[in-house]
Amino acid sequence: MRNPSSLKQEILKKWVMGLQICSSSKKEMTILERKKAIKLSADIAMASARNASKYWSRALIANASKQDENKALLDHILGCDLEKIKKKSSIVSIKRKKIVLRSKKILKKRVKNIGVASYIAKRLVKKRTQLLKRLVPGGESMDELSLMEETLDYIVSLRAQVDVMRHLANASMHLDHKVSSSMDQMLL
Amino acid sequence: MDRIAGTEVRSVNCGEEIEEIGVDSLQFGEEIRRLMAAPTHTGSSFAALLELPANQVMELLNSPDTVRTPASLAGDHHVIERPSRFSVFAAAEMSTETSSIPSNSTPHSHVVKLEPVNSDSNPNSSDPMAENDNRKSTKRKEREKKGTGSTKQSKSVANESSGDGEKLPYVHVRARRGQATDSHSLAERARREKINARMKLLQELVPGCNKISGTAMVLDEIINHVQSLQHQVELLSMRLAAVNPRIDVNLDSLLAAESGSPMDTNFPGMVMPMMWPEGQGYGNRQQYEQLWYFDGLHQPVLGREDNASFITPETSLLSYDSSKDSGEFRFDMQFSVPFYFFLL
Repeated sequence: MRNPSSLKQEILKKWVMGLQICSSSKKEMTILERKKAIKLSADIAMASARNASKYWSRALIANASKQDENKALLDHILGCDLEKIKKKSSIVSIKRKKIVLRSKKILKKRVKNIGVASYIAKRLVKKRTQLLKRLVPGGESMDELSLMEETLDYIVSLRAQVDVMRHLANASMHLDHKVSSSMDQMLL
Repeated sequence: MDRIAGTEVRSVNCGEEIEEIGVDSLQFGEEIRRLMAAPTHTGSSFAALLELPANQVMELLNSPDTVRTPASLAGDHHVIERPSRFSVFAAAEMSTETSSIPSNSTPHSHVVKLEPVNSDSNPNSSDPMAENDNRKSTKRKEREKKGTGSTKQSKSVANESSGDGEKLPYVHVRARRGQATDSHSLAERARREKINARMKLLQELVPGCNKISGTAMVLDEIINHVQSLQHQVELLSMRLAAVNPRIDVNLDSLLAAESGSPMDTNFPGMVMPMMWPEGQGYGNRQQYEQLWYFDGLHQPVLGREDNASFITPETSLLSYDSSKDSGEFRFDMQFSVPFYFFLL
């Protein structure tokens, strides 16, 4: 298995870089803006930790780059990879869409006469896969096979990201406690 | 345990066959034995069966994608007789593994895999083309239909596939009895098998999915899991945002110093960016703008000289900052212990 702790470390490193940029840009932020900035940095860190080898990470970065305000952040974290990633994602997504549509047409021609139960089952599965496609970034233009793969990868990365964030949150809470208690002691 | 018995039986049978055939295929047979001996773990997972890490499993599953699957099935001219059987067997080892997993879970295995091979090699064929499988029957499409072909070619294909073990030039799919053998349905079948294999992997990844049977339910669980993870990310980012008004993180010196060395081991030993909580009310807040906390475990973990260079700029920073309130800094530095969990 790829080393999970190294994945986490990389996510942490890139995330902190992103946070640094965010904090240096604006001085006053509402809590919602802060939250958005934090989440954005975390997502980009998670995506770039994959080095754009997976489709979902490219899609995530492409989505983020659509908004101009994120440009600086993206540039800093990704460096020169940003253009490469954009090119890759645009080309691949177009190709994939064409392939997916064509293959669906071919498959539809071979509809056979099936019983009702399996029909219902297939409908259920289809609904679920559509849901999943919406969840995984960039999932709409993927066929089932690669969707599964991307989901696998995405779940692993999400887990790592959640772990990193949780550690940081816990650490800052601890810090808060200890320091405030010590401050109280001092001030008294 | 059936699997282990099955593989052992297979290996024995294969050995017998090899003696029959002769010296050329000896090396080939050894490779097959190696292939078959490998999955003797009772790993329930596909990855464990292949003894590959999960990402390589992904690559493995990917590689048949790049193969001209329908073309290979339709135009398999150079697969024939015994060498063909071996090539099918060796190359299909991977694909049989994938499809034998569903057969394990569904007891009514009309999906063949192990038995026909045994039955074939059991008769110790005077007639290698014996295809009378009384039990679960498979049609060896390659053998029946395509009669001719060069043995050399087939052997090279088989050698490549068995020696390489991971990259399959062709995906060999066996047609079930009574099913159409045209390339489209076979390709669909191969595709379905691939999807099932990945579904199995997903089932293992998501906790609590192992006992559920049925694609729709499993997908349900997967969706729930992904949604919950995403929600957790949102909540955590909200929490972090609420902790402090300013995300004060100063990593310039750290990252500059660190860029020259491998990140993995050094980074956790280094520092944690400080998110200073708000509203403490003590007036000398400006001095705490830049705080560095050592991970106290850096000594045992990273017994390297690089550390010394990293530590010095930070100690200097600390000493600078703690010029006035040295007391707090000392005691803060001892708080590296709660940050041990940063050693991810």
